[in-house]
Amino acid sequence: MAYPLQLGLQDATSPVMEELIQFHDHTLMIALLVSTMVFYTILTSVTTKLTNKNMLDSQGIETIWTIAPALILILIAMPSLRVLYMMDEVNNPHLTVKTIGHQWYWSYEYTDYKNLEFDSYMIPTQDLIPRQFRLFDTDHRMVVPTDSPVRMLITADDVIHSTAVPTLGVKMDAIPGRLNQTTFVVSHPGVFYGQCSEICGANHSFMPITVEAIPLIHFEDWSTSMLAKI
Amino acid sequence: MAGEEEERKKKGFKLLGILDVQNTPCAREALLHGAGGSAVAGLLHFLVTSRVKRSFDVGFAGFMLTTLGSWFYCRLKNAKLRVQQRMVQEGIKNKILYEGTPLDPTNKPRPSGPS
Repeated sequence: MAYPLQLGLQDATSPVMEELIQFHDHTLMIALLVSTMVFYTILTSVTTKLTNKNMLDSQGIETIWTIAPALILILIAMPSLRVLYMMDEVNNPHLTVKTIGHQWYWSYEYTDYKNLEFDSYMIPTQDLIPRQFRLFDTDHRMVVPTDSPVRMLITADDVIHSTAVPTLGVKMDAIPGRLNQTTFVVSHPGVFYGQCSEICGANHSFMPITVEAIPLIHFEDWSTSMLAKI
Repeated sequence: MAGEEEERKKKGFKLLGILDVQNTPCAREALLHGAGGSAVAGLLHFLVTSRVKRSFDVGFAGFMLTTLGSWFYCRLKNAKLRVQQRMVQEGIKNKILYEGTPLDPTNKPRPSGPS
């Protein structure tokens, strides 16, 4: 999960996020080299003694600095489009979870077999127990099985919210009157956190998303126990 | 143990404030190769021409080309490795799933003969 003063991406927990990190590193290296080149060019331009106030017409260098950026952009666009289309692949989800944003909590519905619905409120700071994370932990988590494609249908009840879990590479707006769909696969068990990513009122910062991934055999036990509780 | 690893990650050196050299695969090797290529190219050019400024330019060009070349070669190798890893993982998962069932591809068909 995130740590204080973090600047980079979180470690990936889904194949799509792994690809996104690869693309990010690729583009960052290109950006770094271009920045270094610009910095060096400025340095040499500022320190040179060569000046020509009458210089016009420089077809050679103009051709180079037109074609080179075009090639660089193609080099960035190709992996970008690859990841973009990969994110839209149909992957025959095993489970559908409906996520509804409210002011200021999330509710989850598992309606594939029986009607399991529950709300997920942030645990207030004064009620935290020692192992829980401030502003991240919730009373009920969205539980999903590992290694299974999950479809998430997202909407909102009142104003626009946005559900985001960075480690899974998931971010989708929850818009009232609209149903958005995203899919993800969680590669390994664990608890993953995210926060509402669209300003939605006074407690926008206090409606986190907590996803817990567990093996399928335990998922069935969990859903049975939740149905009994609710 | 987990705490020490996290501390090491937090202290990762960020080149120009953006690229985390320690934690980005291939970054460290690419930059070191680039530095080496730059030094060799610049030095050789200076030894031949004795022109300082031009040698710096050649060294810089050497840095860019060597870094890019090393980066793309390493990333391509890594990408091929990841594809192989995924195929192996899929194969292991399928083997566990299908072992002992009629769908197991390693099951040799029993020869049919007179009972």
